[in-house]
Amino acid sequence: MRYAFMIAVIVGASSSACLANALISPGPHAAIAQSRLSATPDGQWNRLSRRDGKNVELWTLDGDSLNKVTFFGGIPVGKPLLREIDKKNRPLPKVMSNMLITDIPALLESTYRSQFSVNQIQIETQEPALLDGNKGIRFTYAFTRADDEVLRKGEGIGAMVGGQLYLVTYEAPSLYFFEKDLEKFHKLITTLKL
Amino acid sequence: MKLRAFALMALTGFATLQPARAAQDAFQLPPYAHAYEPQTVDERGQWMEADERERQIRDSPLRIREGNLETYLRTVLCHEVGQDRCAGVRIYAMEVPMFNATMMANGAMEVWSGLLLRVRSEAELAAILGHEFAHFELRHRLNGFKNQRGTSDAMAWISVLGGISNTPVGSANLSLLGSVYRFGRDQESQADLLGLKYLANSGYPAGSASLVWQSLMAEEDASALGRKQKPKQKYTAGFFDSHPASFERAARLAQEAAKLPAGGDARAKEFQEAVAPYLPRFLTAQVKLNDFGGSEYILSNLSQRSGWTGDLLFARAELHRARATPRDLQLASQFYRDAKGAGYSNPDLDRNLGLSLLRNGQTEEGRAALSSYLTAYPDASDAKAINALLAN
Repeated sequence: MRYAFMIAVIVGASSSACLANALISPGPHAAIAQSRLSATPDGQWNRLSRRDGKNVELWTLDGDSLNKVTFFGGIPVGKPLLREIDKKNRPLPKVMSNMLITDIPALLESTYRSQFSVNQIQIETQEPALLDGNKGIRFTYAFTRADDEVLRKGEGIGAMVGGQLYLVTYEAPSLYFFEKDLEKFHKLITTLKL
Repeated sequence: MKLRAFALMALTGFATLQPARAAQDAFQLPPYAHAYEPQTVDERGQWMEADERERQIRDSPLRIREGNLETYLRTVLCHEVGQDRCAGVRIYAMEVPMFNATMMANGAMEVWSGLLLRVRSEAELAAILGHEFAHFELRHRLNGFKNQRGTSDAMAWISVLGGISNTPVGSANLSLLGSVYRFGRDQESQADLLGLKYLANSGYPAGSASLVWQSLMAEEDASALGRKQKPKQKYTAGFFDSHPASFERAARLAQEAAKLPAGGDARAKEFQEAVAPYLPRFLTAQVKLNDFGGSEYILSNLSQRSGWTGDLLFARAELHRARATPRDLQLASQFYRDAKGAGYSNPDLDRNLGLSLLRNGQTEEGRAALSSYLTAYPDASDAKAINALLAN
């Protein structure tokens, strides 16, 4: 009886640890998005318990509608960026092995149009960048989701490494929030390691 | 015997009377009140909510304010239902790449860009607008709300009484729930019929209403095939469906249209001219929806109206480039070149042609296309990324 109680406590504690949002303290963090992606933030962040896909992790400061960093950690070829809500009627585009760097923002755009009913999205600047020494792309974008119609701005850095897509994006409402935390995101992505 | 003969006589009498009455009914439209104000507490509440929702869509970033699109939609509706009736309606064109139009209780109508991309003539557009207007005129929102409230009240009472008398009430409640959906489907059919009367009354070919649903079914089939699924059309509506099945609607509308005057010009050309300025934008949204089969069907439909224009060829190329199998990339390059030949002049063409060639391993040709993009557009927002691809 006592064992059963202890098991119940352990199971309860471990599942609540998985379900709860967690504090990301300053310092190194490995295995982000269940991948070999790691980062060393110099300030505090919150990791959301919600996962939008198998290899997706969400960090935020004030809540994901106000500022959101999404880590896509090694999405393999043939898989979509996010978990598909309606596989039959709204399947998402998949990562492909022959993608050029400019196809990374295009994949994000197409995914958002299907998954979040984003009917207005504009990829703005695109320039080459290194993701821990791997050739990739850094890009900015702006979009409006149909549910709240707030204009958000975004910035991302991504690369195909060993046939897998690594992508980290930051999104926030263009009014006030985007500028407020942009610097923190810039610092964060300089610490990304694969 | 006498009675049977009388019944037969009465029946044949009715049968001969029927067509004449049907023809007369065809043009009997519901009574109309200018500047109608909501009458009851339910209706006033509904209108208040609709007014609030209308304020949101009026100020929405998705509203297509440029040019005369909304004015054109209004002209079509006014022509169809008459100036006096359309005075109570506001139309908002919204950038949503799905096939839909909705009518609110207060006379505000939303028309989505996906609908404008799909309908092939002014008559088909008018068929949808007339259907939506019929919902407004027949006060369907109010009646639907009252039906839902009445039925859910009954369900609650049945549950209470069933509990007291220890009688199972699940099946009674389930059939009541089904009746709510059936009521909604009946309203849709009523709106279909009244919309059809407006359509025929205004000189558009009455058969257009059925064509809209036929085309939509063909698109759904194409879309399913493109996703390697089995095309599946329902012949009748299911228990919880809010609308009748497309197949049922198409058949019923064709049947009813046959009883009405055939009508004249569907005004495909006028419709084409009105949506032409928005077409590239609507196409861009469609080809990025990851629906190869459906998008290809829409493009081939559009090409039947206008031939393969530069815009259509470019969209077709984009569609293939996004799917990106080797044969797609080869076709994409060909369609980009065809689009150029057909007069598509946006510098994006050279960039996307270059990317498509590069992705297909045709490096030299790809580089040449990308270079000409950068020459034409040196300050492009993606110039640095393109330069990096050239340097690789």
